[in-house]
Amino acid sequence: MPTSLQFATATIMGLPFLAILILNLVNRKTGNQLALGVGIIVAVIQMISAIICAGLLWANQKDFIDFSIFWNMTDSAFAGRLSIDFFSIVVLFCIGMVSFISFLTAKQTVGDKKLNFTNLLMVIMLGMNGIAVVTDLFSLYVFLEITGIASFVLIALFKDPEGLEGAFKYLIMSAIASAFLLISMACIFMNVGSLVYSDVAAAMLNWQAADQPLFLMAAFIFFIAGICIKAGVAPFHGWLPDAYQSAPAPVSVLLGGIVTKVAGVYAIIRITSDVFSGVATINMILMILGTISIVFGAVATLSQKDFKRILAYSSISQIGYIVLGISTGSPIGFLGAVLHFFNHATFKTTLFVNSASLEKQVGTRDINEMGGLEGKMPLTNVSTILAFLSTSGIPPLAGFWSKLLIIIAVWQAGAHFVAGTAVFASVFTLAYFLFVMRHVFYGPLKEGLEDVKETKGSLALATVLLSIVTVGFGVLFPFVLRFLQAQGML
Amino acid sequence: MSGLQILLTMIILPAIAALLILIIPKKAFAVKSTILLLIVLVNLIAAISLWGKELTFLMPWGGFGIDFALRVYHFSSFIVAAAAGFAFLVGLYAVAFLRGKPFAGKFFFYYLVTLAMVNGAVLANNLVVMLFFWEGLLVTLFGMVMVSGREKFPTAVKALTLSGFADLLLMVGIGITAWQAGTFAMDSITPIPVNGISVLGFVCFALGAMGKAGSMPFHSWIPDAAIDAPLPFMAFLPAALEKLLGIYLLARICLNFYDLQPGSGVSIFLMTIGSITIVLAVAMALIQKNYKRLLSYHAISQVGYMVLGIGTGLPVGIVGGLFHMINHAMYKSCLFLTGGAVEKQTGTADLKKLGGLGKYMPITTICFLIAAASISGVPPFNGFFSKELVFDAAIESGMIFYIAAVVGAFLTAASFLKLGHAAFFGKSRDEETTKNTKEAPLAMLIPMIVIAAGCVLFGVYNALPLHTFIQPILGHALEGEDFAGWPHTATLVIISVIVLVLSIANHAYGVKKTGNGLGSVDHIHYAPVLSNIYNGAEKHYFDPFDLLMWVVKGFAWLAFGIDRAIDWIYNVFCVFIVSSISRGLKEMNDGSQSRYIVWSFTGLAVILFVFIALV
Repeated sequence: MPTSLQFATATIMGLPFLAILILNLVNRKTGNQLALGVGIIVAVIQMISAIICAGLLWANQKDFIDFSIFWNMTDSAFAGRLSIDFFSIVVLFCIGMVSFISFLTAKQTVGDKKLNFTNLLMVIMLGMNGIAVVTDLFSLYVFLEITGIASFVLIALFKDPEGLEGAFKYLIMSAIASAFLLISMACIFMNVGSLVYSDVAAAMLNWQAADQPLFLMAAFIFFIAGICIKAGVAPFHGWLPDAYQSAPAPVSVLLGGIVTKVAGVYAIIRITSDVFSGVATINMILMILGTISIVFGAVATLSQKDFKRILAYSSISQIGYIVLGISTGSPIGFLGAVLHFFNHATFKTTLFVNSASLEKQVGTRDINEMGGLEGKMPLTNVSTILAFLSTSGIPPLAGFWSKLLIIIAVWQAGAHFVAGTAVFASVFTLAYFLFVMRHVFYGPLKEGLEDVKETKGSLALATVLLSIVTVGFGVLFPFVLRFLQAQGML
Repeated sequence: MSGLQILLTMIILPAIAALLILIIPKKAFAVKSTILLLIVLVNLIAAISLWGKELTFLMPWGGFGIDFALRVYHFSSFIVAAAAGFAFLVGLYAVAFLRGKPFAGKFFFYYLVTLAMVNGAVLANNLVVMLFFWEGLLVTLFGMVMVSGREKFPTAVKALTLSGFADLLLMVGIGITAWQAGTFAMDSITPIPVNGISVLGFVCFALGAMGKAGSMPFHSWIPDAAIDAPLPFMAFLPAALEKLLGIYLLARICLNFYDLQPGSGVSIFLMTIGSITIVLAVAMALIQKNYKRLLSYHAISQVGYMVLGIGTGLPVGIVGGLFHMINHAMYKSCLFLTGGAVEKQTGTADLKKLGGLGKYMPITTICFLIAAASISGVPPFNGFFSKELVFDAAIESGMIFYIAAVVGAFLTAASFLKLGHAAFFGKSRDEETTKNTKEAPLAMLIPMIVIAAGCVLFGVYNALPLHTFIQPILGHALEGEDFAGWPHTATLVIISVIVLVLSIANHAYGVKKTGNGLGSVDHIHYAPVLSNIYNGAEKHYFDPFDLLMWVVKGFAWLAFGIDRAIDWIYNVFCVFIVSSISRGLKEMNDGSQSRYIVWSFTGLAVILFVFIALV
């Protein structure tokens, strides 16, 4: 057991770093050739490690495993403990999966920037893995910044005006978020003297009795606001559509599929359950923000014309569902949120991969310039349908189950109106799904698209793999649910 | 073969043979007709062998008291035997009539399925099982009207709609009856007193049964079908089997299921429908200029006598009604068969082109004369005796019903004088059509002759049907009365004879006025007031189907309007609202960094506000 734990944890924190070293020690040409292969290996190993960790948790009947790498500072007051629990494992697996898909997408889309792309993606992986396992707020902040900075550069990878503008917006908003987070942490450190989750949680449990309750209150509010900017929850979402739209294809796969989820949503869930769980109002705040996000994202999607922008707004809506699930504070809601996290990573990545396929094969992302591609790109067509149906929560696809759990949890929490709104917003999801399908795949073939061919190679592989996951997870979900029930997680 | 096996055979065998006919290639007409004749013959033998037997068959089927139950007793075996007889004779006729027609195979298929369904419906001892077979007849009815071509579709739809509506009432009636009786088993229902909700049950049930028999207001498809459907269909279903079936059920309702008291409200209701049917249908028959269409209106009108007779609730009326049912089935199918013979030999059934056929088709003419005398109530043919019984019951129930029945008799006689005169006597109006006419083939003559002979037999020796078939059905209710022999009430006979003489006088007057047989009733047709009514009727103003269609169209129009309005809300209004909001949101997200930052701070303020508000 120790060896497998050491292997798993070492790969999680060390392997991306090692990959960067290897790729940059060789000369640039070789590095370029090796880059994507190495990246894919790292991503696959990460998925394997996540599964090993899950096995370890299950074998030892534990809720979490503490570990340390390279250094051991558990004695220090400052930080150091890393921890893996069920949710972290899901997130680590998703990181591996989406990175893997991103590399597959990059193979056909980044040209001679393979080395740069891989380097930056490795940094992002490192950052996200860190976010997933840290147990104190400052480490969280550090890894958020690592992830963020690498993302800015990735968005502007091709140094085109659009990408630079998107990167700049993301940068500015992240800076504001960072400022919020730093203010928050300063306030907390001043009052609590520690930034470890459990210490802060203990202090926040009784924040009104603290010496300076106003500071703790400000800390709480600023932290939520800051992390919401990172997650793109409405009304903090302004940067998100622009950044998604302007990023190169593999980067938007990465951003839409995982980066904002880990840097934002995962962090929200983590601090809600581990740090601010004692603050009674957090559930209400998250419920309001979640509902706004769901409705706003769904309605705003309806008048978009750019495929990626549609996906961006759809992401805002889906993030709202995850936040809503968390806001119930019940185990079902938490489970629903975690599963929706995974499902969203799957179906949104599928859609971004398909948008990359369309952009590559048709040459545009404007859905008004496409039409009748059903027969020309059957694979893309079918996988888009599956992914969108999963997004809308149509049984038996994966998205149905997680949405169902979330809505059940919201209903049980007594927020019937919110539950109704969440269901109703799914109608809009279905509406923009049909809207996209009609413009892109159905109807008569647009002039000039006669020579469009189906996507091949790595992109096709990526979309097929993800579709299998979407359908398979949906069909097998009742077993998953039963397993989780047997584990006492529900 | 045991009785039970015979029972099942009578239902299953025709159905299987029907499928067989469908499989056999189109050209093998001889094979198909052989199968048809074989099956109707087997069916006839089976039906006769059931005579006098009392059998029940029970097989658990649907649960909730819905068992597949069959029962043979004197009433049902009488109806089954009669139906089998007509099926055999009309089958023989149909084989000759449809020779060389491309749709003959399909017609035979429907013919045998109909036979299976009729056997099932008559033998059923469970209301739901009966309904099952009854509804099956709806399908074959549609198929048989449709069979000769796509252009018959409107008529078939009309037949289906009206019969289907009647069946719907039947279904409601069965539901209420079973609820009131507490069972679906027909032989364990004790007569239900007719009051409260069971009035509705009785009325719906009876209307359903009468609808099958072709009573008003479910009649208007029959005259259309007379023109559009192949003639054997008319002789088979509307003239014979549907009457047997409908009146059988009506009699069962009045005798077994409900306690029908003479003079009660529902009795008057039935008699009123009967009287109206008699007078209106025969009035329409009077003015028809087509052989088959004229007969079809009589097929409606005569139902009125049966309904009137049974509706009185008096033993004499019920015996009269049932006797009239079997008599009608005989003379009306005979009349239709003569009509078919005329049409087959001359190529038309239009009276304006016919005339003087008596010398070319003597046997057909004689059969026609016998059947026409029967329907007009000329003694000593069978129709006379059954009509006298109905008259007897009617005058006991109310003068108005008797008057209606007598008016009906007068107009019936008048219209058959006209028909006979126009078709078989006088001069041909269109020599081209009639000059090469020959007598009909033997296969068509035999059924006519047999049935016509039956008409004479049932009249002259009316004790045979009355004692053997009909009076046992009522059993003790008769209280020892016997209606066989010469009618008991001499006054009524005298009035009937006077009516017949009057109709002959009327005919003579009409012929003198217009100079030919066809115009013999024109003075009635074109009488003031009446002519307007006739015009309206000919234009289908009074057709219940067309009236129903008007209502349906109005409803459809209304529903369409509502639908459009709802559609507008969903497709225009909601879309406008949502797309406006969506567009607004899109325009807000225009890439302005400062706006995004302001939003973020707004969000911060919202969190702050919620936090403070809740703490």
